[in-house]
Amino acid sequence: MFISFFRAIKFSVQDVARNIWLSLVTIIILVLTLFTVNMLLVVKVVGQTAVDAIKEKIDINLFLKTDAPEDRIEALRIKIASLPEVKSVDYVSKAAAMEEFKQKHQDNPEILNALNELGKNPLTPTLVIKPKNMEVFNDLINQLNTIEDDIIESRNFANYKTMLEKINAITDKVSKAAYGLSLIFIFISILVIYNSVRVAIYTHKKEIIIMRLVGASNWFIQLPYLFSSIIYTLFGVAVVMLIFWPFLNLLQPYLETFFVSYNVNLVQYFYGNILNIFGIQFAVASAINILASLIAVRRYSKI
Amino acid sequence: MIQYHDVIKSYTKDSRALNKINLHIKPGEFVSIVGQSGTGKTTLVKTLIGEEKIDEGKIIIGGWDVTNIGQREIPVLRRQIGVIFQDFKLLQKKTLFENVAFAMQVCGGSSSKIKKIVPHVMKIVGLESKMHRYPMEISGGEQQRVAIARALVHRPKILLADEPTGNLDSLNTNEIIDLLLRINKFGTTVILVTHNREVVNNLKRRVITIDAGQIVSDQEVGKYVL
Repeated sequence: MFISFFRAIKFSVQDVARNIWLSLVTIIILVLTLFTVNMLLVVKVVGQTAVDAIKEKIDINLFLKTDAPEDRIEALRIKIASLPEVKSVDYVSKAAAMEEFKQKHQDNPEILNALNELGKNPLTPTLVIKPKNMEVFNDLINQLNTIEDDIIESRNFANYKTMLEKINAITDKVSKAAYGLSLIFIFISILVIYNSVRVAIYTHKKEIIIMRLVGASNWFIQLPYLFSSIIYTLFGVAVVMLIFWPFLNLLQPYLETFFVSYNVNLVQYFYGNILNIFGIQFAVASAINILASLIAVRRYSKI
Repeated sequence: MIQYHDVIKSYTKDSRALNKINLHIKPGEFVSIVGQSGTGKTTLVKTLIGEEKIDEGKIIIGGWDVTNIGQREIPVLRRQIGVIFQDFKLLQKKTLFENVAFAMQVCGGSSSKIKKIVPHVMKIVGLESKMHRYPMEISGGEQQRVAIARALVHRPKILLADEPTGNLDSLNTNEIIDLLLRINKFGTTVILVTHNREVVNNLKRRVITIDAGQIVSDQEVGKYVL
């Protein structure tokens, strides 16, 4: 039995080598399919990063009275910062708010002129509150509503709630669409791999029939093709890893430029999950290849 | 050795490829089965190697009733019957040595045994110097000799030759027939299915003639009569 097992492996390697063009084509198809799947993963990671970046930009502004003393502002800041839902609280003074405003509208002379006409700084000191994450946003708003302090000018958070709901609705829809699209692409990839293996085995149809006529049992015929499937998958995954690495390194600078001051590192993500990502792809692709081989060989070995 | 009892095989309702065939071939015989195209010769071969199931009757080979042979037993049957075909049926991506060795490998033959026996058999068919060539690199006659070597390598009691000279010229035809006669001398039962009149008439051996799925003639020293 062991002799036949090792023979099957030998036949498999011989078959791959002696049908080199067919083997290359099968591997290339696998590589293209796996590359597509990995690109889907990249899109998913980048998409998720973009959504998180948007959500992180949302912060709550608590407007304070113009004559609020600095020490009381600081006390309020510390009190709010101690809330479990809060990530950070920054104090923007009247003067800093004015500078920021002038910077933002530096290309708009009408606004700047109107400001000069006023003669005084109309802006109020503000506490800019960043939540730890979007899930605690509502809790944070509820907490802020319960804080009693007469230096608070206004606390109307209705806009934030509406904005957050809209963002969540959009991001949910985008996630669902992305998920649906991923499923379609994965299904297409499965079909492509399945059919490319069946076509490869179809070209061996005559051989399979001859082997059967000479007295080979089904498993003696099938086993080499199963091993060939695993060899194709191994090469396919290895080539994809070799191509994808430099591709990610090329992409990384562009991502860093796009997501300024936001940490998105695809290389690290793939490196950190290399066993999961490529391990799962190898396992699934092997399973599909083996299944396709079994079905195709069985079909032609019924002589 | 081989017994057919009232064997019927139909492909359609209206016609029978084999119509109540009764046949007995003894061990060590050299039998030619002749008939025109479409008379049932190939169907007879297919039923003998389990490629087709019969509708009625019984087939017994070497004492084994193979009438209702299961899928798993078919490879076992085929290992006991050496078969050669008109189109040689060699594995194109294997060398001649590997083609012949394959027949032993399917039986689980060890590498040492294969290395000993295959060259010996290749010598019998006169191709020991070309063992490491591929089928496409040799002539049709040589390919048929390799097919014979493959059929012989596990010493079958029966050698079934289905139109072995159909694709060969007269010189190669004679060589192949001579080889079959030599094999028969060693005690192997040889069944030659052919529609080559000249070959049959020169052999002066038993001739079974099939016409329209029936045996119309069975002569110990026969001639091609159709």
